[in-house]
Amino acid sequence: MKFGLFYELSVPRPWTRESERTVYNNALEQVKLADELGFDQVWAVEHHFLEEYSHCSAPELFLTACAMITKKIRVGHGIVVCVPEFNHPIKIAERTAVLDLLSGGRLEVGTGRSATWTELGGFRTHPDTTKKSWDEFVRCLPKMWTTETFSYEGEFWSMPPRTILPKPYQKPHPPLWVAVTSAGTELDAADRGLGSLGLTFAGFAEQEQKIKEYRRRIQLCNPVGDFVNEQVNTVNFLFCHEDDAEGCRIGRHMATTFNYLASQLVSAREAFPSKSYKSLGLLPQLRRQAVGPDSQGEGAEGLALGNPERILRAVKRWESVGVDRINFLLNCMEEIPQEQVLKSLRLFAKEVMPHFQPLATPATTPVGSAAQ
Amino acid sequence: MPLFGQLNLQSVLARLPEMQDFETEPWELPGADILQLSFEVGQERADASLPSALHPAVPRYVTCVISHFPQTPVGPFHLAQLRLMGRAGVHPRGYVLQAYSDAPAAAQALRQRWGFPVELAAEVVLRTHYDRVFATVVKDGQTILDVALSQSETVSGADIQYISSVHLVQVTSIDTPGPRLVQVDPRYTFHRAERGRPVLQYLDEAAWHCEGFSVVHTIVGSLTSVDTDLPRIRFVMDPEVPVVQGTTRIH
Repeated sequence: MKFGLFYELSVPRPWTRESERTVYNNALEQVKLADELGFDQVWAVEHHFLEEYSHCSAPELFLTACAMITKKIRVGHGIVVCVPEFNHPIKIAERTAVLDLLSGGRLEVGTGRSATWTELGGFRTHPDTTKKSWDEFVRCLPKMWTTETFSYEGEFWSMPPRTILPKPYQKPHPPLWVAVTSAGTELDAADRGLGSLGLTFAGFAEQEQKIKEYRRRIQLCNPVGDFVNEQVNTVNFLFCHEDDAEGCRIGRHMATTFNYLASQLVSAREAFPSKSYKSLGLLPQLRRQAVGPDSQGEGAEGLALGNPERILRAVKRWESVGVDRINFLLNCMEEIPQEQVLKSLRLFAKEVMPHFQPLATPATTPVGSAAQ
Repeated sequence: MPLFGQLNLQSVLARLPEMQDFETEPWELPGADILQLSFEVGQERADASLPSALHPAVPRYVTCVISHFPQTPVGPFHLAQLRLMGRAGVHPRGYVLQAYSDAPAAAQALRQRWGFPVELAAEVVLRTHYDRVFATVVKDGQTILDVALSQSETVSGADIQYISSVHLVQVTSIDTPGPRLVQVDPRYTFHRAERGRPVLQYLDEAAWHCEGFSVVHTIVGSLTSVDTDLPRIRFVMDPEVPVVQGTTRIH
């Protein structure tokens, strides 16, 4: 089991000159501490126009800053939007390679396609096309990283032969992941030999079933990259406190605030009927859990909130259903003072992390060996 | 916290439908056709029209919903609504700014039994042409709505998500008088669905209580054939208190 941080970078109103800067500075301070404490990875989303919920529209810059102030922690795009109106694939290949160089080979690349009308409409993207463009992008990226001269003629983009520079520091290339929110996307990940970057807070039973199916399916995959990245990454909230009741109270407030904000998003499906967005992704679950920012109700099962003993039990349970990594949201809308966030991180690192051994070897296998 | 609507309730009280209570029997509405067209609108006037219990959608958008109900307890009728989309707590909802029906009995029943802000129009038309589906509403000899769905293609009914609506009423009972938001949440069984480009030819802003709204971006349109209903009222809300604190369950 490996542990990481996950950032949406929510910024509460009123937006002052300093408020966004404070959120970014606090996050960087947390990442620096996490690196020192032995956390393995930090992920940052790419979202646009999502007022308050996420002001993280240029994650490559935030992650570069993370890499520059840390030594070991890996930096992850969670995710890059693989839709041409958002990001040109050449730029993705170039930016990620630079970040991999600057971080000394610490990059992880999550991929996805956006799920809100706010974003898709903002970039004037037709919702029907995003799954297909994502598929083209993830098949091209490893080749753009690894071949000297690359050319491509596809449905969504094309380029004549050119040498895309620089190349990533990691060889053959950084690990690739897929954001999994909608049901069935874990199978898309498996079919392509990609890691499953879970972004929902689903309960144990649902996750266990998804993970089983993912692991079964990836054995038969046709990998898009030079290796199969068979790993299951999930997301959780973290607030660790010596006093269990206090930890649960503060942590639940954070989780409920996040869920309430997330439920404000105008999903693609809500605004634009499309077979490409069959489900509402994580929204139905969040709406069930988010009765309001002042809720004192029980949180979803498996949240890492409370004292170290309670959190240890939750994480052990996630481990038992097959999760390889957990990434934690540490705050939302700066509702928890920075000192408490840092204290929570330290306590988790001291009391919970020692109970888990990092994987001895990366769960990555060269192409061709997965089915053996 | 997300923003809240900024409607000055006093400015609309005089035109709200009056309801004695929230007890009503449901209507089954088989074989209905529903044309729904979505448009993004400017923020300032939209927020000024949304009750303060609700959060605005980001981006702000409205839906024109024009329905034909061939089989109802009061006979066939058309209903045209303009809804400003928002959030009641965590749930997407369409706040009905104004509605028109072409049948006196339907207009009266919808206003009295569910509190819909319905007025009688001389004509509400929903018609299919060879190249488009169009809808018009005529009142007092003037066209107040002219919209269309063009370039439509067949989609699955499962791709369509209809959002439940809320509207303001004035409760006149002795125990709990005052304005309330009433939620109406029909069920839908889809038989046919099309999706296409929405066209807004004309909208009389005063007639629809959307003065100053400016359409900034078209989203999408759909036409469906459905079996639906008007259910019993399940939830009412205080229009000036966040719904997580001001909601009352009726059924």
